[in-house]
Amino acid sequence: MRYRTLLFIPLLVSLAVAAGAQGSIRPASPARPQATTTITFWHAYSSDSPEVKTINNVLLPRFHRLYPRIRVRAVAVPYDSLHQKLITATAGGTLPDVVRSDIIWVPELAKLGVLVPLDRQMRDFKKLAKLTFPGALSTNKWNGRYYGLPLDTNTRVQMYNQDALAAAGIQQPPKTFAALRTMAARLKAKDIYAFADGGTSGWSVLPWIWSAGGRLTNASLTKATGQLNSAASVRGVQLLVDLHRQGAARFGNVDGGLATSDGLAQGKFATILDGPWMFPIFQGQYPNFRLRTARVPSGPGGSISVVGGEDIVMTTSSKNKGQAASFIRFMLSRFAQLEMAKVGQMTIRTDLKKQMVKIRPYYGIFLEQLATARARTPHPQWPRIDQTLESYVAKAVKGDLTVQEALMQAAREIDQLLVRR
Amino acid sequence: MINSSSAASDSTSPPHDAASPAASRARWLFGERRRPLFTPYLFLAPGFFVFALVMLYPIVRALQISFYEWSILPTAESVFVKFANYERALHDAVFWRGLVNTAAYMVATVPTQIVLGLIVAVLLDTRMPARTFFRVLYYLPVITSWVVVSLLFKYLFSSDAGFVNWVLHDGVGVLDHDVAWLQSRWTALAVVSVLGVWKGVGWSMIIFLAALQTVPKDLHEAAAIDGAGAFRRFRHVSLPAIWPTLLFVTVMLVIGGFNVFISIFLITGGGPAEETEVLLTYMYRQAFDFLDFGYGSSIAFLLTGIVFTLSLLQLRFLRRPTEFRA
Repeated sequence: MRYRTLLFIPLLVSLAVAAGAQGSIRPASPARPQATTTITFWHAYSSDSPEVKTINNVLLPRFHRLYPRIRVRAVAVPYDSLHQKLITATAGGTLPDVVRSDIIWVPELAKLGVLVPLDRQMRDFKKLAKLTFPGALSTNKWNGRYYGLPLDTNTRVQMYNQDALAAAGIQQPPKTFAALRTMAARLKAKDIYAFADGGTSGWSVLPWIWSAGGRLTNASLTKATGQLNSAASVRGVQLLVDLHRQGAARFGNVDGGLATSDGLAQGKFATILDGPWMFPIFQGQYPNFRLRTARVPSGPGGSISVVGGEDIVMTTSSKNKGQAASFIRFMLSRFAQLEMAKVGQMTIRTDLKKQMVKIRPYYGIFLEQLATARARTPHPQWPRIDQTLESYVAKAVKGDLTVQEALMQAAREIDQLLVRR
Repeated sequence: MINSSSAASDSTSPPHDAASPAASRARWLFGERRRPLFTPYLFLAPGFFVFALVMLYPIVRALQISFYEWSILPTAESVFVKFANYERALHDAVFWRGLVNTAAYMVATVPTQIVLGLIVAVLLDTRMPARTFFRVLYYLPVITSWVVVSLLFKYLFSSDAGFVNWVLHDGVGVLDHDVAWLQSRWTALAVVSVLGVWKGVGWSMIIFLAALQTVPKDLHEAAAIDGAGAFRRFRHVSLPAIWPTLLFVTVMLVIGGFNVFISIFLITGGGPAEETEVLLTYMYRQAFDFLDFGYGSSIAFLLTGIVFTLSLLQLRFLRRPTEFRA
């Protein structure tokens, strides 16, 4: 009898706990305050950054006023560890409800099956998607479905040092591939590099391949051969390799040395490609340097840069998908987008272009460049594809392989990766 | 175990020690002399439990993962691929390059650390002023953070603003141009090896020093009386005495050499073009950058196999049949 009583104790405790849990989601009676649901949001803004202050002091209070029954717990995870944290949380089943994810992780997470296809989950998905830049939106697409919405965006534009150009008697930054080639020798004579970049990964090289009229893969993301080793793609990389061979270009992973921003501000590099976050950096480190910008030099394919930024995604493990969707909608609202723009986050909404330029005039060139910018291949194997591209372009830059050989071998290896969907 | 029938026939045995079921159970448990057979195991149990939890389980799990195309999502199915991950490694050019780089690092750092560590230990074993100061000084790199010194070396060997280029090019003028130390395979490995030696000499020095202090002084005195000079005394007295220590240091350094990771990861990141990849950085990249945990685990087990075999070979061929006894 006593044993039976003992057996009942855990059961009674479970029932009591369950009753308590039920109480928290029961519709509120007039005598009790309404129960709230908490959703967790992971982002990678630095914990002491202006972005976090805006989220915590402006956006979340506003959201909580609009949706008094939803509380958002925003967690700052350092960018460098966010990917690993997402992976361990996936393995441990402890993902948050909403994540601000780097655009290049979305296909990978979607393939793992941890992201909700938002085009199914949110009835107003099409309406929201229409508001955004197509390049930024495309980063969310995987296997015919959209697993997120763009949250903030950026791209690379040409940044140049007017004094360095003037020292070689050049008035304008290069607008075309040909102009860059022409001015390289004059700058070299003055011991100035015409162009510098941090590496040879897709982030660095794709603007040149695309602007030359080339591509990394075909449209269905199934083949790189015939695309990456096409005459147009070779032309884009060949420009960089030729400049390097002349001693007119530098790449951090091959040559080491100065960071591109330091070299530009010190007048050792005439032009670089970089993003909008560099403005406050230059202002802090080189207050006397006047940073000027222009579009990426045009080739036969036009002036095409690479899309960066973050997407906002919902996890399949979220138990509060409706509330998570409300938060995602709020983060794409005019209010949230403009507030975040004030602290350096470029909007993904095409209808806010004018306000953006008013907030920060230098956003103008980036918005202009974004109109034609493209996303890096949205594929779960992107990290490996990027590694392959980086390695083979580095070999071409070092002279170990010709550009044609390097891109042919890279394309063959990337073909194998594209098959592993 | 006690013979229970003889115990039962012994009339002098106290009644409670007779062949009662409880007594024989107690004997079975605690042994003839009431040695508590289980007691040591009870004391060992907590430690073993922790060891099993944090070491054995992950090892067995990693071995299991290495035979799968592993999905990190617990609810997703992982595909059993038998030895495919191991076969893939054996046909992977970067794996072999990583193995060669790892071996090169090991060959560059292990003998150097042994020789320098031994020289410093012998010097610091003699009576000299500020001996403790120098012992601390040589040991200091061992306790510094790998991360800090790796970043420091990265800046020292930077191609433009680096201190080394500044000295060799602008200062002494040995080089006619700045060298991109970290951007080509062998110079980058040389830099990482220099760091490994600088950081490791103190450790081998302290082990050798401890061993040298156990060598009886009278043997040295006897050898000196017989006319042996300092080198011959070291060769024929000290070296045989510290031979087991030398073997231990060699085995440990070889294992440590094959485990080079932080310095490569932070200084070159395996680049450029995967030229300076070592086995552990390659394994890490497969698992945590590409989420290919199956392949990463197979590389880890191949490395374990190599290190295990090398350690056995060293123990087999370097162990001397007769060991020095003081």
